[in-house]
Amino acid sequence: MTGESGRIPLRIANKKAYVWDVDDIATIRSKHNICGILTGTLPHLSQQNAFLGVPLVLMPEEAVLLVENEIAVMIDDARAYPQPTLQQLQVWNLQQQEEMKLQLAVIEAKEAKESANSGRAMSAEALEKRRAREEKKAAQATRLAEASIVSSGPSALLVPEPAPSKGEATPPLASQMTDSSGAKGSTVAHTIVIPAASSAQDWYDPNPHSYWTIVAAKEAGIWDYPSNLEERAKCGAFRSLWEQGYFMGGGIKFGGDYLVYPGDPLRYHSHFAASVIHSPQSPLRPMEIVAHGRLGTATKKAHLLCSWDDDKKEVSYLTIEWAGFG
Amino acid sequence: MESHPSFQGLSEILEKYPRAAGAMFQAYNDVVYAQQWADVEVIELPDCKRGAIKGRKPDTDDVLHVVPCTLAETLSISWLQSALSHLLNPPQVYLAITSEDASIVYYKISQGIVKPPV
Repeated sequence: MTGESGRIPLRIANKKAYVWDVDDIATIRSKHNICGILTGTLPHLSQQNAFLGVPLVLMPEEAVLLVENEIAVMIDDARAYPQPTLQQLQVWNLQQQEEMKLQLAVIEAKEAKESANSGRAMSAEALEKRRAREEKKAAQATRLAEASIVSSGPSALLVPEPAPSKGEATPPLASQMTDSSGAKGSTVAHTIVIPAASSAQDWYDPNPHSYWTIVAAKEAGIWDYPSNLEERAKCGAFRSLWEQGYFMGGGIKFGGDYLVYPGDPLRYHSHFAASVIHSPQSPLRPMEIVAHGRLGTATKKAHLLCSWDDDKKEVSYLTIEWAGFG
Repeated sequence: MESHPSFQGLSEILEKYPRAAGAMFQAYNDVVYAQQWADVEVIELPDCKRGAIKGRKPDTDDVLHVVPCTLAETLSISWLQSALSHLLNPPQVYLAITSEDASIVYYKISQGIVKPPV
């Protein structure tokens, strides 16, 4: 989520910029006309590629623009998790135990309900006996669960705040919880919940590892784009098109650097495939003009040549289309 | 080439820019005889060391420009821009690309970001 700074965190890993929060992804797309590419997949469905999720990976030009325009901040995320303090670990451990108790109570209540409806003897005496038996069972289960928590190391499990329970479940009494006699170290079935965002942990501290400018990020060694004329030309051309309100996507399918859309790519077809030429004097072969022009025309697109002038920091555009004759 | 009916009008520009003479001669003849353009004239482009062709498509009023080149040449953005500025910045020029087997293809080069026709 957007921090106190009001800037969107771009988490940098291996000199690539990722956005991990869906709200941030929506913001940069709807307010800042930058799409990126969703790359996340499920570990056991890694071959599927039709519906991808977080993280969103940004083209380097997109990340540079977001930071230069003071929309985003770069975070060296790998270093943003210092060793937790003892107190933080204790809080974490407590939350973990609370979660466990809640789960066991829910299981208990469910079992009680099922056995009550199973058509066994319904006399007051039988009910009383059964209740006593079940309470005893619950108490033992809880003790076993606690014992298993204590015996495993603090780093073995991650448990977030307890989820709200579903109604009639009542947590077992505190006195039962503290009694640990009779624990055999066996396991009680329970779910370990891994929080979706590790940044929710108390000890997550991105501030000492946040870089507010491209220069600062380069000095810290986590980022190096743009580092040469070709990359400066791409950043310049990308910015120029973006400032005119266009959306850009990857251009590989049409033989260019970008596809240029007049609005959100979910709503519009692209009108142009753009290629960036890093100097007005760069060699341009007629065969390139033919290839770009013909491909674009066949797909109802024109090809844009975006020529970067590094002295003037300006972009000039030429549009190529098949002439329609000859 | 010298006996071709269009040589007379082209001889001056062909002799001045011999390296571009082949493409010029081929493009000019294609524009005049195959495309049947009207009011065809030759304009000199000193920076590009060649001539350009000006004319109108049959039954239209817009004056269009053709800049010839061969497939083997190496151009640049600044080369195209100098041709455009010499032709007094028309919205577009046609680049006539010729090859050794006498085939020719035209590509429209427009200034700025121009949306393709729907």
